Parts: sequence; C-alpha cells; structure tokens
Amino acid sequence: MTEHPLLDLAGASIGYDREPVLRQADLAIRRGEFWGILGYNGSGKTTLVKTLLGLLPCLKGRRKGRPLRCGYVPQKEKLDPIYPLTVSAVVAMGAWRGLDPFGLRSTDRLPSLVSRALEEAGALELADAPFSSLSGGQRQRVLVARGLVGEPELLVLDEPLAGIDIATQESLLALFRTFKERGLTALMVSHRVSAEKGLFTHVAWLEAGMIESGPAERMFSEGRVSQVFKAEL
Amino acid sequence: MSPSLLLEVLRPDFLLRNALYGCMTVGLVCPLVGVYFLLRRMVFWGVALPQVSAAGLSLAFLLQGLGVGWLAGTEPGERHLAIMGSAALTAAAILALVLLERRKAGFGEGRLGALYAASAGLCLLFVSWNPHGETAMLGLLKGEIVAISGHDLGILCGAFAVVAACFLAFQREFLLVSFDRDTAEILGRKVLLWEGLLYALIGVTVSLGVMTAGPLVIFGFLVLPAMAALPWARGIMSLSLLASLTGGASAFIGFLLSYAFDLPLGPVAVCLAAASLGLSSLLRLALHRR
Repeated sequence: MTEHPLLDLAGASIGYDREPVLRQADLAIRRGEFWGILGYNGSGKTTLVKTLLGLLPCLKGRRKGRPLRCGYVPQKEKLDPIYPLTVSAVVAMGAWRGLDPFGLRSTDRLPSLVSRALEEAGALELADAPFSSLSGGQRQRVLVARGLVGEPELLVLDEPLAGIDIATQESLLALFRTFKERGLTALMVSHRVSAEKGLFTHVAWLEAGMIESGPAERMFSEGRVSQVFKAEL
Repeated sequence: MSPSLLLEVLRPDFLLRNALYGCMTVGLVCPLVGVYFLLRRMVFWGVALPQVSAAGLSLAFLLQGLGVGWLAGTEPGERHLAIMGSAALTAAAILALVLLERRKAGFGEGRLGALYAASAGLCLLFVSWNPHGETAMLGLLKGEIVAISGHDLGILCGAFAVVAACFLAFQREFLLVSFDRDTAEILGRKVLLWEGLLYALIGVTVSLGVMTAGPLVIFGFLVLPAMAALPWARGIMSLSLLASLTGGASAFIGFLLSYAFDLPLGPVAVCLAAASLGLSSLLRLALHRR
C-alpha cells in the first residue's frame, strides 16, 4: 500500500494577491523523500514552499496535508545581525512552538536539545558566540541547527549554499547527505542544479510559471531540468 | 549638587514629585519600546510618530479652544479629548505606515520624512490658530513635564505599567516575529496578532508619552537609551533592562540637574540620554583598542 503524502498539491495555482506565479502545480511529498525545488531566480520557488507549508493559500486547486512539525532554515541574509543574540539563543528559537509567552513550558530539556542540534550541525563550539560575529558558513550551520532543534518531521532549507565558499558548501552537503541517509524528509530550495544533484531523491523544476516534478534520476536524464543540468556542467 | 538636594527631591511631600515620577516613568518605559524601533530598523518611526501624536494633541486642543467637542468645558474632559486626539492620529499613522510597508509601496524613509514634516507643520499651525492655551501647548511641545497633575500621572503610570508588563511577558513573541517572521509563522505564531499588539503598544506609549512629556523627550527616550545599551547586551532581556535603566537614570539625573540649575527638564533629560550614548560609544572604542 502506498503511504499517504505528508503534503500534497493537486492542480494548484499559487501566487500572491490573486496573481499566479505557478499554474497547475502537482506535487506529493512522502516521508523520507529529499526534494530539490530548483529553478532560476524569480521562478516561484519560495512561493511554492510557502504554499506547501500552508503559509500561503492556493489561488486554485487544493493543498492537502496535516499540520507538520517543520524545521525552517531561511536564507542567512534574511536575518539582521543587529540583534544581540548568542548562537544558543538563536538555535533555541527553533523549539518555541505554540503560545508560551511566559516560558512556562520551557523545560530543562531545551539546553540539551540545543547542544545536540549544534553538535549535529557541527557548530557546538560556537554555542556562546554572538550570532552577529559568525562567518556566512558558520551562520548557515547555526541556522541548520535551529531547524533541527524542534525534532522536525520536515526540514525546509532555503538556498542554504548561497554565498558560501566551496569548502563550506562541501561540508554542508555532506551534512545534508547524513539527513538523507537517516530518512529525514526535507525540501531544499536552490537556483543551481549541478552541485546538489546526488542529494535529491526527487526534484521539482520551476520555469515560466509551470512545474515539472518527479524522481531525481528521471528528472536529471530527461525533460527540461536535464538540459539545464547539462548546460551547467 | 549636594546630598541635601537628593534628600529634598526624594521626600514624599516634595512639591514637584509628580514631575519626577512622570519623567522617571517615561525614562524607564519608552526604551523598552525603543529597543524594537532599533532592532526592526524603525528609528525614523521614532521621529515621525511623536510628531504625529503632537499634531493630534494640538488639533484636539484647537477644537476645544474653538468650542467644538462634547467634552469641551471641563478640565478632565479636555484632557481626555486631547489623549483621544493624540491616540487616534497616532493609530491612524501607524496603520497607514504598516499597510503601505506591507504593500511595499513607495519609498519608506521618504514617506516617514514627509509624515514628520507635515505633522510638524500642522502641529504649529494648530497651536497658532488656538485662541486659548498657546503658551501651555508650546511648553508641552518643548518637553515641559513640570505641570503634570496627579490624575494624569495616574493614567500614565497605569498605562505604562501595562506596556512594560506586555513587553517583558511577550518578549519571545515580539523577538521571533521581529527577527524571523517566516520562522515565526512556521512555528505556529499568529504573526499579524503579535505585530498588531506590538504596534498597539507603540501607539499607546507614543501618544500618552507625548501628552505628558512632548515629542522631543519621547523621541529621545525611544532611541538613545536603546542605542547606548545595544553594544553591551547579550540578549533581548539584557538589552531591554539595560536600555530601561539608562533611560531611568537619564531621567532622574536630568531632573536633579534641571531642579538644581533651573533648566527645562525635557531637554536636559534628552541631553543626558545622548551623553550616555556618547559614553557607551567611547567605552566601546577604548575596549576595542586594547
């Protein structure tokens, strides 16, 4: 029996203010899959992810899926370094779920969860450092730790390799491969195709308002994304 | 300044105790709001909103002076109408700014500059047209807190206590929606609700604060203590407390200097807050050079 998708878009038009960015989007994400959401800048990748997560309603069609415990790793440039936060404080935010204004439900587990997530992301030694003092690669690792700290069912990585040197990219890719090996369901948004090719089990290619999706093996051997992949190589 | 001056000022029957308590309240609470002005890079809001609030206040006084308004005639009624005028115009300005910002329409800083210029001009026009109370109104606009009544102080302390309690209790929510809106949504926060509450608290603080201390003092206490505290903070709680203490200390010492040397209280307190920022910057520079 095929397992029900965690998230499912069927015949969906998605966009902002009644202006569709993508039309007729079909996408079903199942447990254990590692999706690459690929496309050029402005193709609607972030809009698709926001719709999948239920942050944007579909303009047409439907989105199905129960509420998930999501870990979100934003683009590091979106976070302003003016905030006087330590790395541990930034990571702890990933575990702030629901309404708990007085911190009544924060338990003794939080520090150990934060340490574990930092260790997993290879950033434990940064725990007490100010977030603003980190390099781009370090900041990205800390944000990955924040995505992991809430023990997510789905991890969403938004352009995690953008603006990072090659060596750090390689070590982050190695980290993401461990997520894939242990069966963590993940979505990774990227505007490149070649670097992360081996990471994905499935790929969605976004171009000119349309979406083409399927298993990575097939997508990289045929269709539009294979042409882009060959051109990038 | 002698110790006897300090003892005199701290006496429960001190004649200007309302002014002292009012100034301290503004000095302690405005920086809690100002922290978010600074972190959300909304410092120009801190310039424009007190001026809008002052325009609302002077419009309300003008209407009363012209005999318009159902509350005109009695002193408490006039004060209530003035608070309502100040709060209504501030709330309308916040709402318009938020809506325009969400639509990403126009040039944000230019919009705030235009709002400031228009409000400042209107404020002075309303004051000059007012057949009554021009002197009192001008005193307020310059930051004279000395005349604050017991009734007004009660309203100020009550409202600011609620504001301070909200900022301390909902710190996590305000931090999360300010630092990373998308993550806040994904973690299940009602971002619009929390941002709405944040803006409402800003509106209450600015409109009541301007009513008590004038736009200059409110702008000064919104921005300067938070800026002075920022380099030394290791988290939002420490930033809020440090900023609040800096504001409170500037207000208290400002009051002592103002009383001892017969200087206008508001400007002295603001200059002291600015001096604390200068001191903080120098100290930071010295530590960096080591």
